[in-house]
Amino acid sequence: MSRNALRPRLDPADLPPLRWLLGGVLSLLGISTVLYTDVDAGLLMPFAAVVTLAVLLRPRLPSRVPQVVHTLAFPVILGCFALDLWLDLELLPSLVRLDILLLAYRNLGYRGRREDLQLIVLGLFLVIVAGVLSVSPTFAVHLLLYGACALGLLLVLTLEAGGGPPEGTGVTDVRSVPAWVRQGGWRARFRRWFAVLDARFALLGGAAFVLLVAGTTLVFLALPRFQLESGLFLNRVITKKAKSGFSDSVQLGEVSAIQLDQGVALTVDVDDPAAVPPDLYWRMIVLDEYVDGTFRLSSALRSQFGPERLAAQQPGEGRGGDARTTAWTLYLEAGVGRHLPLLGPFERLRFRERQTFRASAPLALVALREDPVAMLAFRVDGFCPGLVLPDPAFLARWERRERGPEPGAPLQAALPGSVRDRILLRQVVEELGGSAGGAADFARRTSAWLRDRHGYSLAPVIPPGAGDPVVRWLKSREAGHCELFAGSFVLLARAAGFPARLVTGFRGGSWNGYSNSLTVRNSDAHAWAELFDEAAGGWRRVDPLASPVADAGAGPEVAAAVAAQPDRSWEARWDSLRVFWYRRIVSFDQRSQVESARGLLSAAAAWFREGREAARASFGRAAAWWQAPWDAGRLVGAGGVAVGVLLLVLFWRRFRWDFRRGSGRMGREAAVRREAGRWLGRLAPVAAEDPERAAVVAQLERLRFGAAASWPDPAASFLRARRLRRPPTRPARFNRS
Amino acid sequence: MEQARVVLDRLRANMRETIRGKDGVIDLVLTGLAAGGHVLLEDLPGVGKTTLAYSLARSMDCAFSRIQFTSDLLPGDVTGVAVYDETMRTFVFKPGPVFAHIVLADEINRATPKTQSALLEVMDRARVSVDGQTHAVGSPFMVFATQNPLDFEGTFPLPESQMDRFLLRLRMGYPDPADEREVLRRARGGYDAIALNPVASREEVLELQALVGEVFVEDTVLDYILRLVGATRAEAEFRHGVSVRAGVALRQAAQARALVAGRDFVLPEDVAALAPFVFAHRLAPLRPSGDPAEDTRAVEAALRRILAAVARPE
Repeated sequence: MSRNALRPRLDPADLPPLRWLLGGVLSLLGISTVLYTDVDAGLLMPFAAVVTLAVLLRPRLPSRVPQVVHTLAFPVILGCFALDLWLDLELLPSLVRLDILLLAYRNLGYRGRREDLQLIVLGLFLVIVAGVLSVSPTFAVHLLLYGACALGLLLVLTLEAGGGPPEGTGVTDVRSVPAWVRQGGWRARFRRWFAVLDARFALLGGAAFVLLVAGTTLVFLALPRFQLESGLFLNRVITKKAKSGFSDSVQLGEVSAIQLDQGVALTVDVDDPAAVPPDLYWRMIVLDEYVDGTFRLSSALRSQFGPERLAAQQPGEGRGGDARTTAWTLYLEAGVGRHLPLLGPFERLRFRERQTFRASAPLALVALREDPVAMLAFRVDGFCPGLVLPDPAFLARWERRERGPEPGAPLQAALPGSVRDRILLRQVVEELGGSAGGAADFARRTSAWLRDRHGYSLAPVIPPGAGDPVVRWLKSREAGHCELFAGSFVLLARAAGFPARLVTGFRGGSWNGYSNSLTVRNSDAHAWAELFDEAAGGWRRVDPLASPVADAGAGPEVAAAVAAQPDRSWEARWDSLRVFWYRRIVSFDQRSQVESARGLLSAAAAWFREGREAARASFGRAAAWWQAPWDAGRLVGAGGVAVGVLLLVLFWRRFRWDFRRGSGRMGREAAVRREAGRWLGRLAPVAAEDPERAAVVAQLERLRFGAAASWPDPAASFLRARRLRRPPTRPARFNRS
Repeated sequence: MEQARVVLDRLRANMRETIRGKDGVIDLVLTGLAAGGHVLLEDLPGVGKTTLAYSLARSMDCAFSRIQFTSDLLPGDVTGVAVYDETMRTFVFKPGPVFAHIVLADEINRATPKTQSALLEVMDRARVSVDGQTHAVGSPFMVFATQNPLDFEGTFPLPESQMDRFLLRLRMGYPDPADEREVLRRARGGYDAIALNPVASREEVLELQALVGEVFVEDTVLDYILRLVGATRAEAEFRHGVSVRAGVALRQAAQARALVAGRDFVLPEDVAALAPFVFAHRLAPLRPSGDPAEDTRAVEAALRRILAAVARPE
């Protein structure tokens, strides 16, 4: 008996375990969305996930759950929800926790049709809540997976319902062990599903899903734009809060701690990549007050921020030096901080939706009232990134300094309170040559001195002892991080008589070669100093850790260096998806909508034009060939081709079954059996008075179920079957006799 | 294959001489014979069970014996006993009625379980062990048992192990009025009056049985049998599913049916047609009603449902 790998058919008994599997996966997908949000479900989420996974893998477990659990489930869950609401006073987190609890409970029993539908709805609630709040690209993947699983589950439910009306009252006994649980394991079930899986069905299903997603995308493109976050009741309470980030007060080591995170902090789209300078310093906060190892934003500097306003845009004082204004679109990830990273003064800053913020023109900074709850997109036109930030107001004050201090306007020149520390700082300054040569020269000398004396380390050692920690480190030869370098420089500059302050933000970024965008990671977090340069009339950026070339600014020949070294790593691929997500989905405003529609239309028109041209050209060639004079050679050639094609068709029809070899799934034997089965389905049942039909059916039965060695000629049998099915071409209208 | 068809046609025609209007039952009996299995005939008294057995036995040139099972029948009465031979001064085995080719076990459920169990070994292995000695019975060997499903008094239901040894359980049913009129018209002189000439030799029957093993069973048909077997095991209405032996029996019976139909390969229809006859007597309802006929109906209804639900290979 030869082995025949003819595919078995899907049996109704195959569906319940598939439904169980899909339901479990849906539950896990739903529960895992909590990871995106900041809902306090530290114990509940792992518990629900473990229960779901255990029950999914061991379907016998629900039968061992005591009846009392099911009896008490409803009042206990309701009680938990009420208690949770009473303790937390927040509806949405409580609803999410209730949802997780219900999902876990639904998995503790054997589900019927109704329970599976509940599962889909419960999971969908979690997915939507997490998706709307996080708007992360991971959510898109999550939603696609969830959609595919939910559609699969609905298909299985429909197939099961197609087997007949549901028996009984429709109420499922959650403890009654279904028959499939007692038979085989998951390995056998997967083998069985794989065996019955028809490649055509899988392809059709996949294509239908792709079409569905494409259709949804088209609807998304066509729908009027609206802000989902503003339209829903979901509040910031539930959203993932910042794990790290920049704040108004930076202790030594805080910036370095951010550097340990490799996550993306900022993604930047630039109209013109050539406009990206090589020395990118994303300024977020300026810290001018220094007390015992902590830099703070002083209240005086804070007052330089304008009044808080709720607006969608902010005009700036910067004027782009380029002939045309370059637009920068920045996507700031949640958790980075409420201060926007900016390269310097700008012409105009626009948010995608209205925000509550304060802006400071002299500091060239913008701060939101609260940390963004999700990714924040904003566009900056006309950045003026430069080595010196002009500050005419401070220059004026500086020039008036001899007249005495002005209330509420410090000169950012305060030193540590300890006299010993001041003396030590002045000694170092004298050693460096004092303030001779101006701010730029002092900055160059001091930076070089610091670099020579100290190495770089993310885990610095500050010598113990009395006095200011920065001064202690300065006097030592220990390695240090950027805050120590920048902090030391600020103190030395102030000791030399220059106003100076610490700036935190990000330095650099990598150019993503796939999405043509700039990616700035948390590991690019940095601290540097700004030194007031009276001669330049503004604040000179000084990065003691940077090389002298970068410190002095870059020439135009280096300007495109960042874009010229694209990152093509796998990480960059993933980041490019994130950028696509931000560009085309999250920040898809009305302008992008119109642009996309135009692009789509022009592409479709171009394809249509090209297709029409190609068809016209082909038709022209064919017509020319046909109209050319017919000689013997052409006639023989054309006839030869026609005869060849005819022979090929006949040959294929006659010998197609002989080309296939072997008995595997794609082999000749399986193919013949499959074809015979198909013809049997078309010809059955056989009428008793039709001997010709009966003979053909007998042949087909032998081809389908008989030993291959005993087969008649398959091609001839199928031909006979085809003739039997073909209706008479000329119906006998007249009786000639 | 052609020779088998001729032999089967002769047997069929010969049996039709005696059994009127029961061509389906005759084909099933021939199926059981070709498959080398044993047949349990279950029906009311007087519908032709014993006559059917006689007609088959008389149609073949084989040894035939009949055992009327009663409550006082002993195992030795069935299998045979060792008796002391004075002349030879040794124990000599006296074969019982089971040493024949066709054995009619009439009213089998009237014997005690002990006596019924005497048939276990011989039905399974075609041999009898007495006093440590093994004695082979005839070949071919077929037990043709009859029982009345409605009679409770003085009967002992056959144990499951015994039921599992029967390949098929058949029911005669009442004949059509036209056939019954023919039966009434004929003179009847008891079973001994059944005058049939043997139309098949012992060797021909053995060849027939050997040929059944060569009937081709395609893999998807085997899968179909497996699905049916699995469905009985998953069915909540049954106390237990059918055994592995039942699956093998269904395959053998389907092969024999194909041969009886003149084919050398099995169709899914063969399997579906025989499944109730092969499986029904091996199954028991989860909650017995106390009435065997009612239980049988419930089992057969569930089997019909399974047959309708399990997809046939196409």
